[in-house]
Formats: sequence, C-alpha cells, structure tokens
Amino acid sequence: MRSSVMILAAGIAGIFASSGLLAADGWKPTRPIEVVVHTGPGGGSDTLARAVASMIEKEKLLPVRMQVVNKTGGNGSVAAAYLAEKKGEVHTIGFFTGVWLVNPLVAAEAKVTLHELTTVARLVLEPAVIAVKADSPFKTMKDFIDEAKKAPGTLKQSGGSITSRDNVVRQLLQKSTGAQWAYISFPGGGERISALLGGHVNMMVIEPQEAGEHIRAGSMRLLAQVASKRLPSFPNVPLLKEAGFDIPVVPQVRGVVAPPGIPKENLDYWENLFRKFVQTAAWKKYLEDNQFEDGYQNSADLLKFVDAYSVQMTGILKDAGVKVVR
Amino acid sequence: MDIISGLWNGFAVALVPINLWWCFVGVFLGTVVGIMPGLGPPATIAMLLPLTFQMAPASAMIMLSGIYYGAKYGGSTTSILLNVPGESASVVTCLDGYQMARKGRAGAALGIAAIASFIAGTVGVLGLMLVAPPLAKFALSFSSPEYFALMVLGLAMVVLLAGRSMLKALLAMLVGLWIATMGTDLFSSTSRFTFGNMEMLDGIDFVVVAIGIFALGEVFCNMETREAAQVLPVPKGLRNLLPTMQDMKDCRFAFINGSLVGFITGVLPGAGSTIASFISYGIEKAVSKRRELFGTGIIEGVAAPEGANNSETGGALVPLLTLGIPGSGTTAILLAALVLWGFKPGPLLIQEHPDLFWGLVASMYIGNVMLLVLNLPLVPVFAQLLRLPVHILYPLIFGISIVGVYTVSGSLFDLSMLMAFGLLGYLMRKLDYPAAPMVLGLVLGDAMERALRQSLMMSQGDLMILVGRPISAVMLGLALLVLLVPVFGRLNRLRLQAIESEE
Amino acid sequence: MEEKSQKSGDLWSGLALAALGVYIVAEARQWDYLAPEGPGAGFFPLWYGVAMIVLSLALVVSSVLRKASAADTAVDWQRVLRAFLSWLALVVCVALLKVLGFVLSYALFTFCVVAIMYARPLKSAALIAVTSAAGFYLIFPTALGVELPVGVFGF
Repeated sequence: MRSSVMILAAGIAGIFASSGLLAADGWKPTRPIEVVVHTGPGGGSDTLARAVASMIEKEKLLPVRMQVVNKTGGNGSVAAAYLAEKKGEVHTIGFFTGVWLVNPLVAAEAKVTLHELTTVARLVLEPAVIAVKADSPFKTMKDFIDEAKKAPGTLKQSGGSITSRDNVVRQLLQKSTGAQWAYISFPGGGERISALLGGHVNMMVIEPQEAGEHIRAGSMRLLAQVASKRLPSFPNVPLLKEAGFDIPVVPQVRGVVAPPGIPKENLDYWENLFRKFVQTAAWKKYLEDNQFEDGYQNSADLLKFVDAYSVQMTGILKDAGVKVVR
Repeated sequence: MDIISGLWNGFAVALVPINLWWCFVGVFLGTVVGIMPGLGPPATIAMLLPLTFQMAPASAMIMLSGIYYGAKYGGSTTSILLNVPGESASVVTCLDGYQMARKGRAGAALGIAAIASFIAGTVGVLGLMLVAPPLAKFALSFSSPEYFALMVLGLAMVVLLAGRSMLKALLAMLVGLWIATMGTDLFSSTSRFTFGNMEMLDGIDFVVVAIGIFALGEVFCNMETREAAQVLPVPKGLRNLLPTMQDMKDCRFAFINGSLVGFITGVLPGAGSTIASFISYGIEKAVSKRRELFGTGIIEGVAAPEGANNSETGGALVPLLTLGIPGSGTTAILLAALVLWGFKPGPLLIQEHPDLFWGLVASMYIGNVMLLVLNLPLVPVFAQLLRLPVHILYPLIFGISIVGVYTVSGSLFDLSMLMAFGLLGYLMRKLDYPAAPMVLGLVLGDAMERALRQSLMMSQGDLMILVGRPISAVMLGLALLVLLVPVFGRLNRLRLQAIESEE
Repeated sequence: MEEKSQKSGDLWSGLALAALGVYIVAEARQWDYLAPEGPGAGFFPLWYGVAMIVLSLALVVSSVLRKASAADTAVDWQRVLRAFLSWLALVVCVALLKVLGFVLSYALFTFCVVAIMYARPLKSAALIAVTSAAGFYLIFPTALGVELPVGVFGF
C-alpha cells in the first residue's frame, strides 16, 4: 500500500515537474521571422542582418527561418514606421543603426523614435580610425589639433552628413580642445576617400575596414583610433584617450528592435535568442573579421542607452548648429 | 606587370569553359535586367551575391560584371520602342531613339545602340587595361570645383536641348532643379520641400520621374484620340531593320564621342552614366551639322549616349580596381562582393591578384562580343513589338511602368509620385515644355549644388576656387562657349541675311 | 502632337510657375542663406526660385504681347478629357493595389481602358485584360521572384 502511494506521489510530482518545464518553454515562433532593415540589398544593415540570419540558422538557435525584408526610404524612417505599425506582431524584428536614433531628432517627418518600439538587444559598436594622407605633415593627433588651433578653419575634414559620427567626433574634439576646422560632406564613401587621397582635405574619420587596404598600400596613415580598446589590426595606433583627448564616447551602434506592444514571453524569447547568439564562436569571429566591437546590451540596458544617447546627441547637434526638432 | 603577358594570362582564365558560361549568364541576365524599367544592376547583383559563394571568385566577378555592363545594352530597348527608360542612363536615348521608332526606323535605332554599345564598351575595357593607374591618379586631382564646372557644362547643354522656346526650356530646367532639392540637405540636415512626408526625406527617385514624364506622359497624350493615328510604323524591309552604311557613316564621330566621354566620366567617382550620356549627347549635338534636327530622330543622337553609358562601366571599374574606391552604387556593391570573397580591394589588388584583374578584363572583351551577337539578331524581334495594336500596347506600357517603379522600392508612395509625374508629363507636352531640360536639371542640380557648397567650404568662401584651378577653368570656358553657340548661330544667320540682301 | 504654342497655355502656365517660384523663395527664406562654413540650405533654392519668378513672368508678358497668330489652335477639350480620364483610371488602379493586389487591379484597369477608351467588344477587352494580367503574374512573381503588390485575396 505504502509503495503504491509512493509511486502515485512520484507520478504526481513528475507530472507537476514536467508541467513546470512546459510552462517555462513559453512562446516559440511558428512562422518565418520577418527581419526589417532600412537599407537596400547590399547595404550595411542588410549585409549584417543576412549574416546574422545565416549564423543563427547554422547554430540552430531558431526553429524557423529568418527572412530579410528591405524597407528603404526616408533615411530609415520608413522601416521604423513599418515596425511601429505592426503593433503586437510577434514574428517581426528589425535591425537598427544610429540613424534610427538621430533622424527623429532632426527631421520632424520622422515620427517613430526607438521609444515607440521595443528594444531587444544592442549588438555591435563600430569603432573608427582617424586617417590622413601618407605624405601629410601631421604625425600625431596632437599635430593636427595644434595646427587647427593656430589657424582655425583652414584645415578640412571630409565625411558624411552633418549628423554622422564623423562630425560628432569633430564636434567633441573641437569643444574639448578649442581647435576649429572645416567639415565637408560627401554623400559617398568613395568620394570622401578620393578627397583625402587627392589632397583636397586634410583628414577624415573612416571605418577600419575601408582604411585597411590604403594603409597597406602606403597611401594613408592613421593618427588615432576612435574605440574603447586598440583594434588588433592597428596595435601601434593610439586611442584618442591615450593620445590625450579624453572625449566622451559616442559610439556608432547596431542592434535589434521589435514592434511595440509585444507580449512579455515574446520579448523574453528574443532576448534569450540574442543573448545566446552573441556568445557563439561564429559571432565572435564575425566581429573580429569585420573589426567591430562587441557591444552587447540586453533590452533594459539598451533602452537606457537610447535615452542617454539621445540626450548626448541633442547637445552635440545643437553645438554643430543643426536645428533639433524633438 | 607587362600588359601583353597580363592579357595573355587573362584570356587563359576567361576562355576556360566555365568562365565563358558565367560570362554568358551575366551578360544575358544583365540584358534582361536592363530591358526592364526599374530593376537595375545594383539590386540584381546584391540579390545574386549569396549564390556566388559557391563559385570561384574570378568566375563570380566575371558574371557580376557581365550583369553590370550587359544592363547598359538592354536599357535602350524600351527607351527606343516605348519611350520608357529601362535604366536611368537610357533617358537620353529616349529623346531621339523613340522619335526614330515613330518614323519607322526602330530597327536602325536598336541596331546602332547595340553597335555603339559594343564599340564604346570595348574602348572602355581598353582604357581600363591600358591607362587605369595613371588615369586613376588623375581622377584624384578632380575635386569639388572641377565637379562644379562639369555640372555647369552639363547644364549649359540645356541651351542645346532647348528647341524653340528657350524660356520654356529654362523654366523646365528650373523645375528640375527644384525637384532635385527635395529631401534632406546633406550639409545641414534641413528638410527641404518634403511637405511633411517622411518618404520625401530622401528625395524623389529619378526613375520615378523619368518613367512618369517620358512614358506615361506620352501615352496619355496618345490616348486623347481613339484612332490608332499614332501607331508606330513597323519597320519594313531590311533597310529599316538594321542600320545602313549611311547610318554608320553618320555616327563615326558619335562612336568616338560616346566612348571617350563615357569612359572619362566613369573614372570620376560620383559622376554617373546618366551624366555621361547627357554630356556626350550635348557634345554630339554641338558639333553636328544638323543640330536643329536633334530630338526629331537623328541616329547620332542615339549612338552617342548609348556608347557613353557603356564605356562608363569600364571607366567606373578603374577607381574600383586600382584604388579600391567605388564610384557608383553598382561598383560599391562589387566592392562589397570583393571583400566578401576575401579580396582586399585597394591599390595593391592588381599586383597581388593579377588573375582576377586580367581575367576580368579579358572576359569583358568576350562579354561585349557576346552582347553584340545576342542583341543584334534580337533587333527585328523586338521591333515586332510595335505590331501590337495600341489598345493592347498602351495598357501594357502602364503595367510595365507600375511594375518597374514598384520593383525599385516596393513603395506605394513612389507609385503615387509616378502618377503625379505622369500628369505633369502630359501637361508639359500639351503646353509645349520640353522634358529633356527638366530631367537634366534633376540629374545635375543635386550634384551641382553639392559641388558648389563643397568648393566654397574648402576655400572658406573664396569664389576664386571655382575658376582658379586649370581643369575647372577650362570646363567653365567650354560651358561659356556652349552657351554662346546659339548666339554664334544667330550672328551667322544675320550675317548671311545681310550678304543676301546686298546682292 | 501638334507643336503649336498656345497663347493662353503660356499665360496660365507662366502664372502657375511664377506662383511656384514665389512659394520656393518663401520656403527658402526660412532656411539659412549663408551658414558659417559656406552656403546654407536656402542658398540654391533662393536663386533658382528667383530665376523661376523672373523667367515665368517674362513668359507671361511675352504671351500677352504676342498677337494670336493663325498657328494657335483652340484647345480641344474633348481630347484633353479623354487623356485626363485615362490618367484618372490609372490613379484608381494604383489606389486599389493595396486592396485588390496588382493582378486584379491591373486586369480591371485594362478592361476598362480597352472597352471604354477604345470601344472594343467586351469579350476581347476581357480577354486582353486577363492575358496581360496573367502575363505579368507569370513573369514577375513566378519566374523572376519579384514581388508585386498583393491584395486581400492573397495574390
């Protein structure tokens, strides 16, 4: 009698235990996941999203496929608006970049900020390097800054739009050192590099990937790195901080967001997925190959980061003379 | 590396059967993509990239490049037959090409487009092979003041495209400039003329404007009457199915013009094939003895721009392969592809990977031949498209236009813009405003404003930078000459009249 | 197309362009003409806006002064109406794309154009409509994998 009660008790306990396991499973995707990016095929976000999707597939972290969807237009605001419209949709996520954060600050038409979406994870911090033409008289960052202080406005930097990271670095350096130099926007990376190599501008902030070959060929030289630690490919180039310029770090970021109003289990699932993903060897190799920094933050930390970043950028943009609308 | 031995090795790579196959696949796909309005090489190449990981890099590069320059061959087809630009660079081909089709010479137009493309494409490859490194260095000396002068030269072409009413041509150009300024200003992040729409933040796509104004405007005009009064005559007889010897003679200068202008423009990062075709068209018109007839169906008016947009591809590969600098959207994707395959595009690429470079060069020669062989026999086939009765043809054109625009961005907003520009195109025809100056203003206005502001920022407000440098001074001088051409023409006529009245 | 300049056409279009020019200049004044580094966002629009006003007024003046010549023809409003209706039909087609999807909207549009605009028998209009729409469907989404707008019916 007692043994059958024991067996029954064990059975009931077993049922409770397994139902507890079932409850812990929570939500699982049942359809292919729509991954929204704001660039066209071949653009930065598109390439990253496809790479991440294929890595997730290889590591079998998802029971379903990921399908990259390009929603171009409006400097990223079309993709953001698309996600905002899909309120509560559990099979959609999006890859954001800094543009999603900055655009609403300067363009009244871009109505969707990251606060209107659900933050999932921050994945990547993109470092940059400061480059000059190989025969430039500037050997260190200090040389450049000193010259800029002596002759304000005569030195020139090529870069992207006035809200891009290139100019942010310039604004922060100018503010902290009192130096001053001109910033000339070019819409394409190729044009920016040509301007530098042709001697029409003195300096540029450039991605390590883009600079690599020109440095190897001897046509470009680096003055400093804009990163939190030295990149493996440039062990001898000082960080801005090491060179004596302790400016706040305003990184270029990439990460994942989801539509607003999704259930908690859905968000937990995404968070879990990306938390596991960033620990895979494949992702670590990808970061290394592309010279990215691991900038992983979970959903809550990312939200705090977004707030801090927006405040920082607003100040910087105002200093740069850009009209801030939000 | 010695050019002869390099080329020899290159052919050894390119003539391998598998690479011949991929070359064919590339140019064929390119032709198809070029024919279809809207869908262009950048999107196609990006979509095919993942498939290339299974292939040897040299083969993949051969195929993707085939798509790039093959598309330029196909782009002229719908431009000539339907007045629908297949590619933004083919807009200029619409001007005389479509008029030739209306006169029953569609075959000749299509044929000369293929021949000019072949000649110019081959010259482009020759240029890439022979003068790439020094030319690339020269291109680096080109900066904003030179670009500004180039754009001014281009806009001065308006004068040549004016037709009868100079006022209306200038007004059309100004409207083009206005449309070009719509969107977010690069330098200040101010939103200009966006009417509160977020889709307007990056401006209006050129393809949308071109298809709306040219294709839709024309069809709406033709739909005014029920009768097929405007049906396009089908080319009859062999004479009109292909260019004649006289045609080839007329185009002698156009072949050279298109090849050189396209190649040089392609080498400059940022200046694209649309600009190249406009400039070569303008130059052709300027030197032609029958310049008043341009726009009514003159064969050189097709040969020059078609050649230019082909040799431009060879030119655009120069900065990409010799310096690792992408000059246009398509070359940027090719750059990304090279990186993905493990190459490091930059000044050392040719030295370290001669097989890749020379294999590509050799395959481009082969590809151009393949394209000529592919396209010429298809000319009579395509020309038969004109047999379709208008009540079938025009709805098809509408359908192609909608699909073409939708494939570019998937945006219904762009489609509503297409409707607006279709209406505008119709109104412009009714009110006799020429469309070419407007398109010119749209294409060049953006670049010109940027170049001007960049130049003045570089010189800290000193205007002399625009005329002080040798290259830009020469181009501005040319622009002035171009502006004076009609004045000379009129003076000449007055002079002749004076002589006649004395006799 | 008859290449005849319309006197009143020039007048009205000139006035419309002048109004556009005024609007452009008004907007341009809100932006910086000269920023500290160089010309601002308002520089270029101001100049071409002013040019537009000047040239369009010149057009208006020249059209008023020009005597109506034998070459000017009256506007054939019936033809304009036909063209405008075709445009309207296309607009409706695009508007319906979200609801009906490309295939249905386009078929409907083609049918209307062929049957009404070109007064073909209903049967052949329907045939043309269906084959064209099917052709697009076969070439684009099916053979090339290029998406066309799908409506509530799923295709």
